[in-house]
Amino acid sequence: MRVGSAAVALVVLGLPFASFLLLALVRPLRRSAVAAATVSITVMVAAVVAAFWLSWRARPLELLQSPSTTWSWIPADGGPMATVGVMVDGKSMAMCMLVTFVSLMVQLYSWAYLHDEPRRSLGRYYAYHSLFAFSMLGLVLAPTFLQMFVFWELVGLCSYLLIGYWYDRPSAARAAVKAFWITKLGDLGFVAGIVMLWAAAGTFDFWELFRLAHTNGLPPAGMPLIMFLIYLGAVGKSAQFPLHIWLPDAMEGPTPVSALIHAATMVTAGVFLVNRAFPLFMLVPDVLTLIAWVGAFTALLAATMACVENDIKRVLAYSTVSQLGYMMAAAGASAPDAGFAHLLTHGVFKALLFLGAGIVIHVFHTNDVFRMGGLGGQPWLWVPFVLATLALAGVPPLPGFFTKEAILGGVFEAHLTIPFVMLAVTAFLTAFYMFRVVFLAFFARGLGDSHAHHHVPPLMSGVCWTLAALSVATGVNLARQMLAGAHHEGAPAWLPAFSLGLAGAGIVLAWAMYRRGAIDPARVATVLAPLDWAARRGYGIDAVFAGLYRGALLGFSRVVGWVDRYVVDGLLNVFSAWTLRAGDRLRRLQTGLPQDYVYGVALGALILFVLAQWRMK
Amino acid sequence: MPLGAYLTLAALVFAIGLFGVLTRRNAVGILLGIELMLNAVNINLVAFARFSGDLGGILFTLFTIAITVAEVAVGLAIVIVIFRVRRTVEADHLDLLRG
Amino acid sequence: MTAEAVAFVGVAVVLLGSSLAVVLTPNLFHSILYLAVALVATGVVFLLLDAPFLFGVQLLLYAGGVVTIVVFAIMLTERLVGRTIRQASRYLINGALLSVAVFAGVAGFLVQAPLAGARPGVSGDLTLAVGRALVGAFAVPLELLGVLLVIALLGALYFARSEP
Repeated sequence: MRVGSAAVALVVLGLPFASFLLLALVRPLRRSAVAAATVSITVMVAAVVAAFWLSWRARPLELLQSPSTTWSWIPADGGPMATVGVMVDGKSMAMCMLVTFVSLMVQLYSWAYLHDEPRRSLGRYYAYHSLFAFSMLGLVLAPTFLQMFVFWELVGLCSYLLIGYWYDRPSAARAAVKAFWITKLGDLGFVAGIVMLWAAAGTFDFWELFRLAHTNGLPPAGMPLIMFLIYLGAVGKSAQFPLHIWLPDAMEGPTPVSALIHAATMVTAGVFLVNRAFPLFMLVPDVLTLIAWVGAFTALLAATMACVENDIKRVLAYSTVSQLGYMMAAAGASAPDAGFAHLLTHGVFKALLFLGAGIVIHVFHTNDVFRMGGLGGQPWLWVPFVLATLALAGVPPLPGFFTKEAILGGVFEAHLTIPFVMLAVTAFLTAFYMFRVVFLAFFARGLGDSHAHHHVPPLMSGVCWTLAALSVATGVNLARQMLAGAHHEGAPAWLPAFSLGLAGAGIVLAWAMYRRGAIDPARVATVLAPLDWAARRGYGIDAVFAGLYRGALLGFSRVVGWVDRYVVDGLLNVFSAWTLRAGDRLRRLQTGLPQDYVYGVALGALILFVLAQWRMK
Repeated sequence: MPLGAYLTLAALVFAIGLFGVLTRRNAVGILLGIELMLNAVNINLVAFARFSGDLGGILFTLFTIAITVAEVAVGLAIVIVIFRVRRTVEADHLDLLRG
Repeated sequence: MTAEAVAFVGVAVVLLGSSLAVVLTPNLFHSILYLAVALVATGVVFLLLDAPFLFGVQLLLYAGGVVTIVVFAIMLTERLVGRTIRQASRYLINGALLSVAVFAGVAGFLVQAPLAGARPGVSGDLTLAVGRALVGAFAVPLELLGVLLVIALLGALYFARSEP
């Protein structure tokens, strides 16, 4: 049975890779947009089927039985040093379904959305998408830290490639490089942590490590540093403060890419890592507290920035950062299951939000929410988006409500009062800024009339409706479980009402400011002028990084340059100067005067005399 | 007189000739010093030939004398050419080989 | 003291004195004349060494030929310059030191060398033997010497010719 699961998992993993190889190596396929899209989408349908089948036929594992199937990889004395394989458990199966399904949705959507792109480059787009799906699946199925790191880097590479898909745009190229380097900053910690962990425990294997953690087989002294370093990798990938700055810039990529990579799947890798390695994180409560604080702070910070952003995609990007903060805070509050559930539900409705935003961008050819509006008469356009917005804001019976409430409960239970307050404020702000976008982009008066009944490809709205339906179905399912009493005990009874009240307050405020016009947004901005000013500038974190870059890196370069110029080159210059000077001195021996040469001959003869005398003795 | 006396005489003349070569400023004067040195060598050759009873030394002297004549002729011609070109025969001024 | 010894000392004195005069006289023309004396004295030394033929050659070629050529050269140069060439000396002390050192070096060998004392008697006519050798064993070098002289003559002519 287990081998069977592993085989199916390998199929899920192998299908996108085969599609990538086909598109990458077979030139005619890549050059023909239709063929490339057909191959990629067909394979992805198969992968979705395989993933769901894998999940459907899975049986609960027996306790203490490893869910991993591994093969030896790096040989060493006394057993392989590292193994590869697949780890099929609840988390990886859920992630497989999410990744394959959202990938499929996005690939379908892309076909309509990128219709005006040069047809020849679409093959490249689909090849990247296939590679991305493969990498992400490899990441979630990885049974060892080392294999996870390999796929982790592959995911980073795909992100770079897809952000920079329009590589002839300087801003896109810059954003791609920025995303790559900022996440690399975190990966440095990740790889150092993995190596240190291996040095401490002697294995990369999750299951082995969990067993050691369970039996106190890990040295307690080094663990906080090791787990902190591993957490750094998650900070980079999941855009936690202060490495969150790459995610808003990553919106330079095509909108479907943002939906897939920067909302639903890739950025969740960090959250997934913390969840996957949670038994190890449990050993280090200090790091967990740090994770909770950083997560809550990230959530609040990103939410405030989203409130002042006009670019619809960047609002969603900040919202993603904010929600990732929620998930991390949940893990930090020892409620990883709540965070993981939020990851799954958020993955679906955030993808829907991005794809819905893609529709309005498609209609208005701009990202600026103040230049949209007037779509109130076309419910087939706005209903999925509003449903997703309600889900994100946390309105029942949509799934965001349940998972967010679970997170708040978990944080409250962990007695992290200040993070709880920050998250609560974030919940309020989330509802506010999301409905600000809804009211401005869809219902603003005066602008939209000329765009009335704009044609939207049915494929795009079809995908949106599918995702919306899935989201609602999930929500209803969660609601049924809650009513059936699955609500976890310990959380205060007032929490659902409190959570709903926060969301409602945010919605009402947004309605008052941007729909009703009862409160003038400009006056609010004046009252909160310093906050507004700072939030619009991203709290200067970008500037700090730029300053660090200039100060540290360029300073270091200057030092190296100085050493090279004055020490290395200086030594060479000294030697060459000595050579020159010696040559100059020696040159003067050649006076050119004939008699001086006679002196030389006579002296030479004298030396010969002396030598001969010496030899004769 | 013993061989040593002739050889000592030759060595003295050679040293005097060398002194001339080293100290004269005029190119012709240098040539004269060279002549003296060659003469000293000739004395040596003849003395060795006489004291060893070998005719070779005398024959070599003959050749040396002839070659010296040729050398003087060419040397003086060179001196005259130098003079034409540089308007001087002072050896101190002939430093085209200076590095 | 034998007559030969007296003659040797006398000719040695003349030779050394005139040699010194050659290298020390400021007047170049006088130097030439002293050189002629020194060359003749050398010829006398050859005579003392039982080589009358060489004495003749020395007188004819050296004292006659070389000195004449040099005199011509000097007079030609002086006419070109338009004044009597007076020659100064340079680095007298250095030159003297080095010359003395070279002499000392040679003398060092002379002192150590096992020089055969006795002088063998002359057997037969040395001039005859030289003549036979020149047309016999040394015929080829002699011819080559002739070629060398011709080349030197041509070279000297080439150098000394007036500009076209």
